[in-house]
Amino acid sequence: MSAATVTSRIPHRIRLNLRAVVGRAYPRIVGANREPSWIFFEAILPLLGIAAYVFIYQALANRVLLDPTVSAADKAATVAATNALIGSVVLGGTMIAFWLNVLWSMASQLYWEKEIGNLQLYMMAPMSRMALLGGMAVGGMFMTSVRAITTLVAGVVVFSIVLQVTNPFLLIAVFFATLVALYGMGMTLASLYLLWGREAWHLSALLEEPIFFTSGFYFPAGGLAYVGGWGRVLLTAATAIPATLGLDAMRQLVFPGAWGDKLWIFSPEVELVIILVLGVVFLVLARYALAYLELLARREGRLTSRHQ
Amino acid sequence: MEFAIETKDLVRVFKPSRKLLKRKKNPNGEGGSGEGPVTALDRVTTQIRQGELFGLLGPNGAGKTTLIKILCTLLLPTSGQAWVAGHDISKDPFPIRERINMVSGGETSGYGLLTTRENVWMFSQFYGVNSKVAKARIDELLHIFGLWDKRDAKVRTLSSGQRQKMNMIRGFVTDPDILFLDEPTLGLDVNASRVIREYVEAWVRKQKGKTVLLTTHYMAEADQMCDRIAIIDRGRILACDTPENLKRTIRHDTTFRLEVDTLRSASAFSGMKGVKNFSSKDDASKNTTSLTFILEDESAVSDILSAVQAQGAKIHYLQKSEPTLEDVFISMVGRGLE
Amino acid sequence: MSATVRRQWRTFKWAAWLGWEMDSNWTEPALFIVYSVVKPVAGAFILVLMYIVFAAIGNYRDPAMFSYIYVGNSFFIFVGSTLFGTFQVIQADREWYQTLRYTYISPISYYTYIVGRAASKVAVGGLAVLITLIFGVFVLGVQFQMTLGSVPIFFVGLVLGLFCLVSIGICLAGVSFMTAKHTHGLAEGIPGIFYVFCGVLFPLTALPGWAQSFGRGIPLTYWFDLTRRLILPPNTIDSGLGFFSDLEILALLLASSLIFFLLSLGIFKLGEYMARKAGKIDMTTSY
Repeated sequence: MSAATVTSRIPHRIRLNLRAVVGRAYPRIVGANREPSWIFFEAILPLLGIAAYVFIYQALANRVLLDPTVSAADKAATVAATNALIGSVVLGGTMIAFWLNVLWSMASQLYWEKEIGNLQLYMMAPMSRMALLGGMAVGGMFMTSVRAITTLVAGVVVFSIVLQVTNPFLLIAVFFATLVALYGMGMTLASLYLLWGREAWHLSALLEEPIFFTSGFYFPAGGLAYVGGWGRVLLTAATAIPATLGLDAMRQLVFPGAWGDKLWIFSPEVELVIILVLGVVFLVLARYALAYLELLARREGRLTSRHQ
Repeated sequence: MEFAIETKDLVRVFKPSRKLLKRKKNPNGEGGSGEGPVTALDRVTTQIRQGELFGLLGPNGAGKTTLIKILCTLLLPTSGQAWVAGHDISKDPFPIRERINMVSGGETSGYGLLTTRENVWMFSQFYGVNSKVAKARIDELLHIFGLWDKRDAKVRTLSSGQRQKMNMIRGFVTDPDILFLDEPTLGLDVNASRVIREYVEAWVRKQKGKTVLLTTHYMAEADQMCDRIAIIDRGRILACDTPENLKRTIRHDTTFRLEVDTLRSASAFSGMKGVKNFSSKDDASKNTTSLTFILEDESAVSDILSAVQAQGAKIHYLQKSEPTLEDVFISMVGRGLE
Repeated sequence: MSATVRRQWRTFKWAAWLGWEMDSNWTEPALFIVYSVVKPVAGAFILVLMYIVFAAIGNYRDPAMFSYIYVGNSFFIFVGSTLFGTFQVIQADREWYQTLRYTYISPISYYTYIVGRAASKVAVGGLAVLITLIFGVFVLGVQFQMTLGSVPIFFVGLVLGLFCLVSIGICLAGVSFMTAKHTHGLAEGIPGIFYVFCGVLFPLTALPGWAQSFGRGIPLTYWFDLTRRLILPPNTIDSGLGFFSDLEILALLLASSLIFFLLSLGIFKLGEYMARKAGKIDMTTSY
């Protein structure tokens, strides 16, 4: 193919893939509006789980406050630290919405598509597989954003959390860089679903709690460094998950000086750079993993067979 | 002349999964019967010209769907080569995908929450069709396929026939150069099947350069629609020609059809002198056996009748008939399609 | 054994076998067990880290509270596995395997079938509870103290607790007949209700008054309180139920479980009826 032909085809490919993104996002958005019961199940109910984690910190703090041996100054410090911990839970709960969207509405969705007979039609179409996954992500973003905003607003209002945004631009940059890296990671994971069936679906299920744990969705991840050598190893491994550093940076930016700055991993600026690198790595990896695993799946006849 | 589709020594072997093999070792496990490697396609070589409506005729499990999946870039061959629209299916799938589409009988595509229109539109976007153009085409096709009144019905409320019509619209909306139709009329009523057949034929005939590869096990469908037909059985193409020429291959033979009381065994006819091939099918509701014989020598009829009477069966009718595609199939394969 | 009981037992047995096959046949049994245990153990670790972080920040250790949280969380594994095991049957059979219509029209009790299908998840959940507790006691120093006399009450409480969970699961299954595929939201959200209101991870007294009253209306509150009374040493934590004796708590658990059982029969029947009326028995709602 000549250089000129390649150039002339680029706008065509971009147009095709943009249309594909819109096409796949459409059922997600329309579907969500046609079955509004999701608002209760996917946005309201999960608030309760987050509330439970908030009450644990409150219950722990209540015990300190009721202890006559603890000084008034220490009690005041406990209240301040607990408020920041509760804020961390709410922020973690907000980001969980995105992580679950990556894991269940994008990565494992390919398995679901195979089960209902759509995957072969998708794989036969000329659009990029990343456009297909991108469409799922964009479409799912509507539901996810509703859940995330509900969590954040309810958390801030109900638990009287004070967010002190010190650097809004950096906060926005970290948030979006984390999303891009997370979705890149989801696309890489999705490639596994082209080859594996239920194994990959169960892998998603298996990954859920351990990643909540290692990424510190409900506590500052830096706390892992306080549990000995294995905690530090886990923390190092967890930095490969964009949510870990993303959450840490965002917490630093909205709760400056919390816990005497003892629990942060790196500075927000360094974390942003690492997240950006992770984003690029995951997107490139996804591009090649999807192509390679699609080839393997074609070889093994896994793209079309159901109930594997 | 450029071929729309070309295959050369295409082989596809399916190996059983490790899970199945493991179960096979366990004597109590299920699914352990005869799961060795299965050769779905065995050195398939064929060429389909642009503008052709090409039929692939064979019983269930003959390899038709496997061939379509390979040509649609969903499956790789174990060995051999294939080209679609001039591109190698193994090395260059994306340009192929821009020019093809596929519709399978009984498929459940799309999302139940979307309407018929929305579902088809969504698929059109995966092919980059301009949204306005897609919507106009969808409306036109909805009218043609008699689905206009269901345009805004959610897909989950459609009957299986309506859903299949929607799938056909999905296949045509991208205006492919090559369309693969895998048993498109499977399970449809007479009227729905007729609408689909007529549209497919008109689509190929009225436009230049459109090609259809149709798999079916309905003989009449293949006979009526196809320019050429390949007969496939157990992964091998046994013959490939126009329906007329295929029927001509047995013109020196004679076809006899009989209906008799249910026979205990049809083995008496195997190897009978003058019998080239035959098929038998019991009808439990009528308590009869239908037999079709392809005879090299017409005088074999008396031996056949004697063999029937030897089993104490009464003959309900005996008819000499013009050869059909089914007879060609029986002559080559030694059994009917169903 | 009467013919009805025999038929119900056969349905249960067959459904339990089916549930086990569906849950486990994607991998080796050993790997399946590991998988089933890793998830809840990782969930327990979240709480361990929350406690460690809290303790590290304020330099304040509270082993009694840690044991309270840990034991509550361990037994909560039953809640997740039993509830998910029951209500997901409707959504999985309807949308995934698309077999609901065939099972539903067969001459079996669909209620019993769902209970049977959940059995394997409950059994595997039980194993996870045991492993989490053993790990907590021997590795994390969770305080454990149980007298021989408490064992019968503990097991009666366990049976009633599971009975109650299955009843709640069936209520949700009845609701699932009418809703779209929200397996994930339900799996995460419904247990969340019990997480917050039943004194699982923190005493009821940490909740506002109205929430405490709500919690006292749910049988699981009594089950968790009874279980902790029986297996943890006495402590100063005010659970909000201290004025009841063990036997009174058991009686409250029994009474509320029976009410929930009757409720499950009603809600399930209503869900079935409404789904049939609306033509939703075999709908698919994926998008």
